[in-house]
Amino acid sequence: MLKTARRLLTNPTSLSGIILLVAFAVVAAAAPSIAPPPENSRDPFMIPRDGFQTEPEGPSAEHPLGTTEGQYDILYGVVWGTRTAFRIGVVITICTSIIGLTVGSIGAYYGGWLDDVLMRITEVFQAFPFLLAAITLTSVLQTIYGRGEAGPLMFLAKMLAMVTFGSNPTKNVDPVQLQILTGMLAIIAFGWMTYARVIRGNIMVVREEEYALAARAIGVGHLRILMRHLLPNAVFPVLVIASMNTGSYVLAFAALSFLGLGAQRGYADWGQMINFARNWIPSLAQHWHIVTYPGLAIVLFVLAWNLVGDALRDVLDPRMRGHDL
Amino acid sequence: MTTYIIRRLLILPVIVVGVTMLIFAMLSLLTPYERASLYVSDVPRRQGSMTEIIEKYGLNDPIYKQYWYWMVGRQDPETGEIRGGVLRGQLGFSSTLGGPVLDVLSRRLPATAELAIWAAVPMIGMGILLGVVSAVHHNKFIDQVLRVISIVGWSIPTFVFGLIVLMVFYAKLRWFPPGRLSDWASQVIRSDGFRQYTHMHTIDAILNLQFDVFLDALRHLVLPVTTLAYLNWAYLLRVTRSSMLDVLSQEYLTTARSKGLLERVVVMRHALPNALIPIITVGGLILVGLLNGVVITETIFNYPGMGSFLAHAALSLDAISVLGVALVSSMILVIGNLMVDVMYGFVDPRIRLQ
Repeated sequence: MLKTARRLLTNPTSLSGIILLVAFAVVAAAAPSIAPPPENSRDPFMIPRDGFQTEPEGPSAEHPLGTTEGQYDILYGVVWGTRTAFRIGVVITICTSIIGLTVGSIGAYYGGWLDDVLMRITEVFQAFPFLLAAITLTSVLQTIYGRGEAGPLMFLAKMLAMVTFGSNPTKNVDPVQLQILTGMLAIIAFGWMTYARVIRGNIMVVREEEYALAARAIGVGHLRILMRHLLPNAVFPVLVIASMNTGSYVLAFAALSFLGLGAQRGYADWGQMINFARNWIPSLAQHWHIVTYPGLAIVLFVLAWNLVGDALRDVLDPRMRGHDL
Repeated sequence: MTTYIIRRLLILPVIVVGVTMLIFAMLSLLTPYERASLYVSDVPRRQGSMTEIIEKYGLNDPIYKQYWYWMVGRQDPETGEIRGGVLRGQLGFSSTLGGPVLDVLSRRLPATAELAIWAAVPMIGMGILLGVVSAVHHNKFIDQVLRVISIVGWSIPTFVFGLIVLMVFYAKLRWFPPGRLSDWASQVIRSDGFRQYTHMHTIDAILNLQFDVFLDALRHLVLPVTTLAYLNWAYLLRVTRSSMLDVLSQEYLTTARSKGLLERVVVMRHALPNALIPIITVGGLILVGLLNGVVITETIFNYPGMGSFLAHAALSLDAISVLGVALVSSMILVIGNLMVDVMYGFVDPRIRLQ
């Protein structure tokens, strides 16, 4: 473990990734002091507006990164958007890896028809182009949640709201948050398959190792073998995928927001901020800052996770050392 | 070979049925009222006529019955007319653009296909070329630079890239316009003398010998094609590089070199063909990339294809259209993956024996 950490810190690729992630984490933690929310604000994630003029304004002393359409402050949005990105990326990664690990390890360990069924289901989910499927499901979920009474689905949203925003599950979900949750649910629903396949393949291998056979021979229970002996030995590649995927989940959510399906207008979310730029395409040369700053934030954030994932793969899998795929 | 293809074809129906079941599961989350657009074009607002329609098309029947109606169609008890039925190509009616979803799609698919085909050329060319360059100069300066470019390129979202491209080449330099055709060119295309064979403007223009229209269509394609292609070439570069590195370390290349062959011949004639085999396997992933990419690309460039239809319908919460597009695109992907597997079987004899 220590060796792994040292490797990660001495490799220039992963070091730059880690530095970037730490920088983002610092910005996220210090958000209230870098960009203090106005006193009367109910939700610090709603970007404060300076007037209601539609035309974006360039950088000035008051707004260091300028304002976008509707006078939303870009610096504020970029800073608080860091929190949104971490929340969304990390929560989706945790949920998808739990689903993937469960499906993959059950299939691999029990084998037989159960494995067949689970793998066919995995393949069906993989038969959809990921982003397209996420857009589809988000739209369907928003139709359903828009009705107000969504039964068991509302329960799901409340659980996710509790994990993501720390909100009280007995109360109704805030509509602004609900819209974000629909996008997250859709990404989770179509984002777990790689974990399932990888963990299944790995457990298939370690299942036949001697220590697993020995455990079975002395009568250790199924669940215990799976949890104590097999998973810990098969879980490492999942870390690599998780790191790489965190970046792509954030990208997918940003794409949803960009299309207007993710975070609501004025919410501190990078994709949503870039959405404003769509109305200013002919004059983008003049209003370059409305794309560049939030865009840079997304690129660096995703890059950081990809760099760390890339290095983790080299470090954790000695066979892969020197190759990058 | 035949058994390999047959075995591969046998899995196909399972996946296809699974896909329709998943789509129907999403449909069944909707209310019968919202599902009515599957069978009727104008969903009436009045309560009375609504219950009649729900009754008529069995929208409150048990779920397995509804799945059957959705698949094969539902007969109108009075007129005997069959409505709906995915197998009959009836995907329901679009409330955003009006008309049957399949009609909208068949109008828009050629545009998307044109975009994807044009994007595939530079994407595959650049990806493989740079991958080979990177592998041949393993760990040298150019390899490091390409490695950094590919990992950074991989992290840039399509919409940021597309907007920056528009900012520079449209807003600033005014070189390339958004959209699909200039006004004068769309008039030519709609005129009587112009026959639309494929509905892909560049190809039709050549077939009609209208080279000014061809150039206009091409000029509109440059930016979206760049955006769509860049998305995947970074990925292809990495795959080609690592596959090429594997091949370059093999003994038969040492043999070739010791025969005194030129390094260029060794790389291009002996190594590359074998290195290309694993690249076929990522064909499916590249198709996924293209399908995902067109949604964003078409939206940014205001290009009237399947992707912008999906984005527009999703935003208007037109679930019937959205699910129709999802069904069609997943079928494209399933067929694409099948073709990739069959091709792989042809190219690599080891696969057939497994």
